[in-house]
Amino acid sequence: MFRCVLTAAGLVLFACSTAAHAQKQTIGAPPEASNMKLVGTNDLQARSAYQPTIHHQGDRWIAYIGHHGGTDDVPAPVNPMTGQAEPNGTSIVDVTDPARPKYLRHLPGQEGKYESGGAQMVRVCDGKSLPKGDPNAVYMLRTFGSEAHEIWNVADPANPVLITRIGGLKDTHKSWWECDTGVAFLVSGAPDWRTRRMTQIYDLSDPAHPQKIRDFGLPGQEPGSTGAVPTELHGPISTGPNGNRVFFGYGTNKGGILQIVDREKLLSGPKEPTPDNLRFPEISRMPMSAFNGAHTTFPMLDMPVAEFAEDKDGKTRDIVMIVDEAILNECGEARQMVWFADVTTETRPMMISSYTVPEASGQFCQRGGRFGSHSSNESMAPVYYKKMAFIAFFNAGVRALDIRDPYHPKEVGYFIPAITKATDKRCIPIEGGERCKVAIQTNNVETDDRGYIYIVDRANTGLHILELTGPARAAAGLPRT
Amino acid sequence: MRCGAAIVAVVIALGVSGVGTYRLAPAAESARWREIAWPFPRDGWPSGRAFRCDGACAGTELYVRAKRGFCNCDRGVADDDEVDRVADIDLISPRFAAVAPGEEVGLGEMRGRARRYDLDLSDGARHAAIGIAVSRRCDLFVAAAQGRGEASAVQRAALAFLETPEMKVWATAALDGE
Repeated sequence: MFRCVLTAAGLVLFACSTAAHAQKQTIGAPPEASNMKLVGTNDLQARSAYQPTIHHQGDRWIAYIGHHGGTDDVPAPVNPMTGQAEPNGTSIVDVTDPARPKYLRHLPGQEGKYESGGAQMVRVCDGKSLPKGDPNAVYMLRTFGSEAHEIWNVADPANPVLITRIGGLKDTHKSWWECDTGVAFLVSGAPDWRTRRMTQIYDLSDPAHPQKIRDFGLPGQEPGSTGAVPTELHGPISTGPNGNRVFFGYGTNKGGILQIVDREKLLSGPKEPTPDNLRFPEISRMPMSAFNGAHTTFPMLDMPVAEFAEDKDGKTRDIVMIVDEAILNECGEARQMVWFADVTTETRPMMISSYTVPEASGQFCQRGGRFGSHSSNESMAPVYYKKMAFIAFFNAGVRALDIRDPYHPKEVGYFIPAITKATDKRCIPIEGGERCKVAIQTNNVETDDRGYIYIVDRANTGLHILELTGPARAAAGLPRT
Repeated sequence: MRCGAAIVAVVIALGVSGVGTYRLAPAAESARWREIAWPFPRDGWPSGRAFRCDGACAGTELYVRAKRGFCNCDRGVADDDEVDRVADIDLISPRFAAVAPGEEVGLGEMRGRARRYDLDLSDGARHAAIGIAVSRRCDLFVAAAQGRGEASAVQRAALAFLETPEMKVWATAALDGE
């Protein structure tokens, strides 16, 4: 009897250890996927990747991908096209044929490692859509590390030309640029503000001649204020003059705030950064749990909700999807995830649902690196807008959510790329040193108008271009492949 | 024999009463820190440890905790604004004003800044306060102290206590997530 018990215990322990071992990513193992398929890849010169923007440029599709700074081991990777060591900046990749992406150019960024260097963010507008732009130009707005915003003409994406620079900053982050008006909400660190990140609003309708409109932030962040300093900005998204709203997300993984702002009042109201003037354009703000931040605040206004179709009121809802950013490796913090807020009654926004990857589905807390959400796609192209959202979830890859009923978001697909020899380690402190593991770190995701999904890796694994398959493809209303 | 037992009893009693009490130095007017319950409601960071001073800095309270992943990994605590934002002064009162530029400080191998503040408390009282923030790579270790005494005395007492071996060991463990 005793021997039977011992045998059973041994089997259980063996099964548990095998299951745990099976979750560790190894080089050469296939990607993990459900209803998503790999179309093409590019290694992005093994640079840590942040924001991708995919732009339809003439008859070509070009991916502009921002990078963090280098690593301790490789502060400035060698660009094989030039043979030179270059600080991480912006990768420009022709993805017209998504099965065969062609790397066109690396545009170096600010020297520095990790968050302290590179050129992490990028937005693109056609000159012909900007009110005073050169109609033959294509403008790329990018951050230059923590010290500046830059605009380049990328009409020839292999040979960008610097147009202008807005410098003298102590930080930058995820900006928003309205291509139809030229108004840009630049996430900056103005030297005299009490926060690392606030908003500098510029008229960039003529990119060669930026015109400052105003500075903006939460009362308590402005120069000369005293007392508690509110959570710093992560990024805004504007609905332009028609929607007349700007949704600001404050916080990264702590103390998040969704702020809803009247765009017209923001642009034309009193500009001196006094507490009253900063409050003037605010419609409402929704504080989140202190456990979570607001990395991305993605508006989806006037969404029909099937469940409410027969109701006399409230058939359509204004929804904001809020994505937190996980920061600590191996689940060293509260879970960062995805939240849906119903902001139909703007002064009384309310959280209605949430989504996270089930940790046990991949034992993600043990895989290494970060587990939790980071960002969503921000394209509002009809192919996926208000139907499907894609969430970068670090070591759990990218997740495809059916959001047609935002009260009940549902995962319908995922893709976790395989690691490569370029994939960088992620470490945690342990007594007397540190312990490191290697795992995929899907940092950002974007989609194009054709329906391809682009994911990029923070741990240097590069770009993966994906497409939906099976039921996920059907849910998005895409034709069968 | 009876005398010996008495001595042992006294030694044990004094030893027991010393649990949770930290004596800085055998000086005539030393600062003795006694651990008290963390007095603030739960927020985004795990609770830290709180202490009240008896003796030379009587009435001063000190609150310390780790904030992991909250710091620029390369620049560390870059400026006084960062001390304003992270040092937990706002837990004591959201109404505070810096009285002077901060100064560089170190705790063990960690470097950062300390700054002095005037605090307006909800009962109308005004206290001196100190905010301290030091970093270890991407992680912060912060301390806030308040008391009725001179700000410089509060700062000296707080920094001296944070430099004790017990506190250094605890700070390292807290930054390791233990």
